[in-house]
Order: sequence, then structure tokens, then C-alpha cells
Amino acid sequence: MDERKAAYIEYAQAVPLAFAIDPDTCIGCGLCEAMCLAKAINYDDTERRTTLSVGALILSPGSQGFDPSGLELLGYGRFSNVVTSEEFERILSASGPYRGHLMRPLDREGPRRIAWIQCVGSRDVNLCGNGYCSSVCCMYAIKEAMIAKEHSHGELDCTVFNIDMRTFGKDYEKYYQRAKDKSGVRFVKSRIHTIDEVRETGDLSIEYVDEGGELKRETFNMVVLSVGLRIPDSLLDLARRLGVEVNKYKFAATHPFSPVSTSRPGIFVSGVFQGPKDIPTSVTEASAAACAAATVLAEARGRDAKSIEMPVEIDVAEEEPRIGVFVCNCGINIGGVVDVPAVAEYAATLPNVVFTDQNLFTCSQDTQDKIKEVIKEKNLNRVVVASCSPRTHEQMFQETLQACGLNKYLFEMANIRNHNSWVHGNDPETATNKAKDLVRMAVARANLLKPLKEKRIPINRRGLVIGGGIAGMNAALGLADQGFEAVIVEKEAQLGGLARELTTTIEGEDIQAYLYELIEKVNQHKMIQVLTESLIVGFTGFKGNFTTEILVGPRMYERKIQHGVVIVATGANEYKPKEYLYGQDPRVMTQIELGKRLEVKGASDLKRVVMIQCVGSRNEENPNCSRVCCQSAVKNALHIKELNPDAEVYILYRDIRTYGLLEDYFTEARRKGVAFFRYHVDNPPVVESAREGVIVTFKDHLLQRDLQVPADLLALSSGMVPEDTEELASILKLPRNEEGYFIEAHVKLRPVDLANEGIFLCGTAHSPKLISETISQALAAASRATTFLSQPEIVLSAVTANVDQDRCAACLICVRACPYDVPRVNEKGASEIDEALCHGCGICAAECPAKAIQLNWYEDEQVLSKVEALLEGVL
Amino acid sequence: MIVAKQKPIEEIIEGVRDYEKILIAGCNECVTVCEAGGKKEVGILASALRMYFMNQGKNMKIDEVTLERQCDHEYLEELRKIIDRYDVVISLACGAGVQFMAEKYFRTRVLPGVDTCFMGVTEERGVWSERCQGCGKCILGETAGICPISRCAKRILNGPCGGSTKGKCEIDKELDCAWQLIIDRLNELGRLDDYEKIIPIKDWSTERAGGPRRVVREDLRL
Repeated sequence: MDERKAAYIEYAQAVPLAFAIDPDTCIGCGLCEAMCLAKAINYDDTERRTTLSVGALILSPGSQGFDPSGLELLGYGRFSNVVTSEEFERILSASGPYRGHLMRPLDREGPRRIAWIQCVGSRDVNLCGNGYCSSVCCMYAIKEAMIAKEHSHGELDCTVFNIDMRTFGKDYEKYYQRAKDKSGVRFVKSRIHTIDEVRETGDLSIEYVDEGGELKRETFNMVVLSVGLRIPDSLLDLARRLGVEVNKYKFAATHPFSPVSTSRPGIFVSGVFQGPKDIPTSVTEASAAACAAATVLAEARGRDAKSIEMPVEIDVAEEEPRIGVFVCNCGINIGGVVDVPAVAEYAATLPNVVFTDQNLFTCSQDTQDKIKEVIKEKNLNRVVVASCSPRTHEQMFQETLQACGLNKYLFEMANIRNHNSWVHGNDPETATNKAKDLVRMAVARANLLKPLKEKRIPINRRGLVIGGGIAGMNAALGLADQGFEAVIVEKEAQLGGLARELTTTIEGEDIQAYLYELIEKVNQHKMIQVLTESLIVGFTGFKGNFTTEILVGPRMYERKIQHGVVIVATGANEYKPKEYLYGQDPRVMTQIELGKRLEVKGASDLKRVVMIQCVGSRNEENPNCSRVCCQSAVKNALHIKELNPDAEVYILYRDIRTYGLLEDYFTEARRKGVAFFRYHVDNPPVVESAREGVIVTFKDHLLQRDLQVPADLLALSSGMVPEDTEELASILKLPRNEEGYFIEAHVKLRPVDLANEGIFLCGTAHSPKLISETISQALAAASRATTFLSQPEIVLSAVTANVDQDRCAACLICVRACPYDVPRVNEKGASEIDEALCHGCGICAAECPAKAIQLNWYEDEQVLSKVEALLEGVL
Repeated sequence: MIVAKQKPIEEIIEGVRDYEKILIAGCNECVTVCEAGGKKEVGILASALRMYFMNQGKNMKIDEVTLERQCDHEYLEELRKIIDRYDVVISLACGAGVQFMAEKYFRTRVLPGVDTCFMGVTEERGVWSERCQGCGKCILGETAGICPISRCAKRILNGPCGGSTKGKCEIDKELDCAWQLIIDRLNELGRLDDYEKIIPIKDWSTERAGGPRRVVREDLRL
């Protein structure tokens, strides 16, 4: 949206965060090549071909935003103030063309009214051929509207024109409700076909038909087109070369029961190329693909890994400190402001400093080699680097120390860049003095550093899987197929969970046949042990070394299992409705019950079937969407139509949420004559029992009147409720949300990890989801678990809290203050902190009223020495 | 536990203003647990005084020590060798500790650094409340484990009085009426009949009213 310089960083969060040269803009002046101190620029670089021999391939090529230029009536490209949602993201971004200020492109005025047009390039067979739903646009439109309101200086009116709002992800519905009720975002049910420009103002005029069939016209200052996801043609070419089949929308063809396997064995797929999806699902699927690939490669695991030999550690505990100080110029980052030679010279005058040097880039490989030589030559036993942030570089320098046999905790950094040259660029003299202060402080602490021993603990390579449904069994197979033992703990007498009640998937795949095969595979696998009728009663230990106590039925004898990881797959059930005469009239049943009924009795006796959506979902009791019920209804409706084409099927819905490729089935249902009627949450259908049928009364918005339909059968699309895991959650100390689903460590970036290390999550215990999604997530959890289990041992940070038990007053303050629940008062009446569990945050050390707790590497003396060095000569 | 709270810093400064060598002595028992006089508080008070006097341009020697307990001879003896180096000691122990130190080191001035409040419990971190007044004759067995002596404003033995409203005491809307608590708990224990029994007049001679008290156990004496 804005001019870009020839040398640029793609965007602020790019990885790697490095400059690139745009060949279209570069005039080839050669200035950058001449100026670059690191000699990183090579104009003569050419394309190289490399051949790699691999055992498996994972395709994660992503997608592109739909280009709406072809949809002429929307005016994109003709009217400046019509932008795509991707462009609007850039407008809102602090690193974007308007530096995060909300402005419209034409006149850089702050808009007062913005409209979002949903389903541009999605759910549209007529104009662009994309019959699928892109899954992500409803959520991002709401997000953009909410952020736009935050960025706007005055009142901002946000309107989202949509066919259905598809906020089906975990907690997404709550976000939608918040946007509507708290932030005042307006949602209008209408598909927009035409946008006109008001020539004098650049505003945009939209004509639309509202739900009541009335024609309306509104004017907005700006319009955002919520463009869908599409697979570019270049990927089609890639797929062809790899021999991977794609479906009619160019997404990789996969099977519902092996969602990350392509048509070609050994080639796996994740992300949007598998089907439209959001970030959490993409991240999950990436782990799932890694699991599938690692299963194929299990035998070769670690074969090509290089290990680094570390020399034996030199004992320097008794030696006087001999400190080396290395001051960095960081190109001109530091050297351009701070007088680096003067700082190095000053450092030489500090106590116990026996060597100082300055480097252009202290982090470069040749400087590392130089530091290693100096450590040996000068017998250094402490090292200080004055450069940048320990967050990015500490570990690297510590490895340099270790390579010379020095304990890695004999290292200290002074940040003379971020904290100094970058913020005092206009005052070199003060910056140089501050650099000296920072170095003096670092040297003071270095003098007091002691070698610390990191505890190494072997990892128990067994995984415990809680729950033996589709999620649990797939997770167990994911572990076992990679050579790790798995123990499944199932509370029922049989494996299978909720899937035992299901018939077919919407694609027509036989769930019972799949389940039978899956159970067989699990039972036959020599690395999997299954405990049925079992109950978890105790849980202790830490990542890599857990012990779980289990009561195993039917005789309820107690077993203790040692294991390194836990995968939680406790599942969910269909909600048993209290609404709409369920349980009172036998003709009222849930979708799962209907599925079974169709299998057993067929549909020849059914003349008219009514279905009601969102039963037990999206209400006060359960504010979330249950994700699967729309497709269940469509699936059963299609099944009825297939068995008995003359049967009438009415589906009463609020928003039809057949996301992704499921949209095709929704289209097919409409084509086959299934009738869909929208109802409002504050005016739900009314159901009565009568001899001639179940009488359902609801309002038809187009006719603007109530309709009354007698049905032979009323199917309730009842939502999902998680398995009751209250006790389990308290035994394992796992966080759950208000509805009882477990809470993952990070919604987007760590979707199958729990915050408790070594514990992973999958299936409907996380949130409602389809079988294919459950399988992906189970593989993902297994992948995350094996990443951890495949290490020979865990090295625990030595930065942990230590209690001087003689001084401890057993006051319980550390016990109460610890965010990780680690300190315990032991039988001797003193606090005890398990170093394997301690996160090293230091809160207990700060809080202890008896000063009996010290945090290693940050002992009071070491921290205070810096303060004293800073104030030296001032007091 | 004996609960104490820190004295205002101004009061402490006034007390030591005229001296030059100060020892701040903490105690690792009750006052540590109620976060008024442990090693951490000693350090904080010492830093505050140093800062104050440094700003005043006055050169003070301020040292820190924390004893295991200040209510035992043996622990107090640990100061014997150093006590003469100081003009004044600020003891952050409870009143018992301060006095015992003053008795032992007769010639050194000992100042209290905390206000000793009561015998009580930690309701939650940062909130302590009274539970016992050391009356010398415990009646908790008759009052369902809730003490009317320490928790009733009037210390009445057959309550509640007319000032009890909706379970709260008339002196403070936040304060539970002890007798309401007693009745509720008797009910819970299925012993509401005990409420009918009149508790006789208490012998207050074992309480503070009978003068300073001692406990002597001949069987334990050496």
C-alpha cells in the first residue's frame, strides 16, 4: 500500500528478522555492499540447485488471499476506499503504511463508518467458483472491527455484512458476543453484491436487502472486503510434480481418518493446503504432520543428528577471579555512539580484570574462536561481554565458555546497546559514561559468580494417555509407532468413547469400521497397554518423571505407573437436552440418536422431519458454539433425502456453520430441497406434542409470519459437553475454563500443550471438534510428547531457589507466593523447594521474611553488588 | 502466633536520632511469620534509616542481626560479645523479646521497633486477626471452639447481646458477632442444647486482672 525501499525488512515479526533487497526497486548502486561492515551483501549470488535425500515430505505451502479485482461490482481497484481485509490489517499495524493510525486511503481521513463485506471469494460458486467457506474471515472481520474501534480517535461505527457468522472455534462465539454486546459492532445478515462510490466524498454506498426482505441503502466512509483463502495455481504445479492429488478446489486430497496424509505415501500435508483453517488448527496440524512423518522415519530417528563434545569442566571454585571483558561495537550500533576503546580501557582498571578487548561483532563466529583462545591463554575464569541483550545472545556466549571447560554460570553481560547506545544516540559522552557504569556493575557481579551444577535427569520414555476414545487411541498409536511405550487409562469397560455412538462421517465414511480397526490396532500393539475401568487417584512428579496411581477395575486394585509425559484425551459427550420436549415425546431425539435410527430403521416412515440447531449451545448456560452440530444436521438431512427423497426436512438455525469444505454439503442439502429457516435467539421455535406429530411453530422472516409444521420426528442438534473432569483436573492440577474444557498453554502458538510441562491435550477435552480434527490433534499431542521423550535426559536450569532450612521460620509465605505451587513445608518444619519443579522466577526469594531463600545466580549479594558498584563514589 | 506490626518510621527515627551506633535485632519466630520483624524487615528498616541519615548528612553505624528467638536466654547470649559496640538496639521482636533483651543487657538502651498487637492467626496473607487473650482458663470446650473472651467486644459469657444484628457486631459492620458464630457452630455440631446451659461467672483472677502471671512446672525444672 506504500512505497518500499530497495533494502527492506519484510515485516516487523519476520523470521529471520533480516534485511532483503527488492530486485525490482534496487538500482544496483553498490552502496550497501560497500557500507556493510559484516560483508553480508553479495550481488553476484546465483541460484543453486541442491539435492536432498529424505524419507518423508511435509507440505505446508500455505495459501493466498483471494484477489477481488475480478468481482467488478465490488469496486475493488476502482474505488480507493474499498480495501481488502489484508490491506486493512496493514492499515491497523504499527509497522504499516499509516503507522497504525486508522485512515482511509483516498484522503487519509479517519473514517467514522466502516463496513465489512463477508464471503468475498468464499461460498460463491457463481462468480469465482470457490464453493467452500474460508473458515477464518468471520473471526478476523470481528477482530479488525474491534481493533479499528480501539485505534479510532472518535466514535467509529462498524458493520459486518454476513450470510452467517461462523465463529465456531474454541471460545470464538464469546468473542463474537462481546463484539456485538460490549463493543457495539453491528452485524447485518445480507450478502452484498454491489458497492457504489459517492463521487464527491469518496464514500461508498451499499444497497442491500435485510432479513425482512426490505431494500435498504447505507453510506460508509470505507469498505473492507473480507477476502477468502485460495490455493494459488503454482501449488497445483507443485502437487502435480510430487504426484499428490488435489480436490476440485485445489486443496490436497486427504481422507477423514488420515487427515494429514496425502494420496502419496510418505508425503504429508498441513495448514491451509489441507483445507481452509485458522492459526491454532494450522499449528496443530503441523505437529500432526510431523508425527506422521516421524512415524515413517522412527527407525532413523537421531541418526543424522550431530552431537557436540564438551570438554570436562575445569574446577575454578578455589581460584581468585580472573575476568576477561569483551566490549562489542556491534558494527556502528554501539561503536557509532559509545567510545568503545575507552570503555575497554576503563574495564582493564576494574578489580580482577586481567584482559580486555573490543570487537566489531562479538557474536560472530571468528570472535567466538578468539574468545576461546583468550580464555585458555589468559586462564580466564570469568567472562563479561558488554554488547546487547542476554535474551538473544547469553546462551551463545555461555556455550563458548562451556567449549573451554568453563562453567556456563561464570558469565555476565552488560547491555550497552538496547539500554544505552540505542536510547542515548544523541549524547555520545553520556552514553560512554553509562557504558562504563554498566561494565563496572557487570564486573562486580562477575567477581561474585560461582559455578553452578545443572541437574541432569533421565527421562522415563513412557507416555500415559488419559482417555481411550478416538483421540486417546490415536495419541497412543502416535507414541507407540515411534517406539515409545504408551499406557491408555480408560474409565469405561471398552475403548471407543463417544465414537461408539456414531455412524458415518459427513463424507460417508463408516465410523464403526474405523473404530473397530483402531481398537484392534491398539490392542495388538506391543508398545501399548490398555487399562479399562480405571480411575486415576494420585499424581506426583514432574516432566519426564511422573508417577500416577490408578485404581484398575473391575476389582479396583491399585497400580502405580511411572511415565515421562501425559496426554489428556478425556473427551466430551452429546448434551442431553432439557429443551423441546426431549425425553417427554419419543419423536424428539438428538442428532446422534437420529443417525442411529436412520441406520437401523431407515427413513421410509418419515414424511416430515424438523431439526432445531444450537440446542444447548450459544446460550447463557453454554455460550460457546459446539462446532459439529451444523454438519451433523446437514449430514442427517442428506441421509434422509437419500433414503427417502420425498421426505421434507426443515432445519431451523441461527447461523449455519458448515465451515471449510463442509460448505459443499450445505449447498448439496439446499439443492436436494432441505429447507433452512433462520430463527432468532430471543424468539426460538415452540414445540408441542400432538397426535398427528410434533408441532413446531417458528417465524419465517421472509413471509414475516409464524409457520406451524407437524413433524414425524424432531431432531435436536444438541451441543457438546465435556466429560466431567473436575476431580482429575484437581489431581493433575490442570486448568479448565468455565465450561470445563482444559485450557491450552497458548491459544494460537501452543494449542496442544498444557501450561504444566510434560502434559499435552487433544480431542474434545480441548473443545468440540470433528473426528478428522480430533485425529490431527491427537497426532499433534503425540508429536509434542515425543519431541520431549526423545531426549535422553533433561537438563534442569541451575537457576532455582534454595532454602537455608536452618533459617526457615516455616511461615508458609513462599508456599503461598509461588505461582507454580512448588515449595512445601517438610516434616522437619522447613520449606523445601524441588529444583526439578522450580521455574527460577525468584518470587519466593524476594518474599521470604526470614531471608532464608536465595535464587541461584541471582543471590542477594550478587544482585546488590551491581547496585553498590553503580553507586560507588556517589555515596 | 504473636502478631505485631511495624512502628511508623518517623517514630523510630525520633528514638534513635541522637545516637550514632545502632543495632537492629530481628527475631526469627512470630514476627517473621507476620512479616513485621524478620531478617527481611531488619534489612528494610536498616536501609531506610541509612538513607534517611545519609540525607541528613549524619554518619551512622547501623548494623543488622536476626536471632532465632529473643525470648530465650541462650539466643540472646549471642549478642553478649557485640552489644557494647552500640549506643542503642532497636528490637523488632514482640514486647516479650524487647523486655528480655533489656533485662539481659541492662546498660544498653533497647527500643521497640514494632507494636505488639495480639495472639492471633493469619486469615490470609497480609490479614491477621485476634483469637486468644490468654485468660488463663480456657472455656473453648463449652463455646463450640469460638472464644467469646477474645472475639466478643463485651467478652460476655452468655450472649449475644442486643447489639448483634444479622450476625454482625454493633461496634463494626465487618466484625462477626462471636455469639452468632457460637450458636451457628453448636447447631452444626448438633449440640444446640448446650446453648441453654448458663456459663457461670468467670474467675478473672487467672487473667491479667489478677496481676502479672507466671507458669511454674516443678516437674520440668532442672
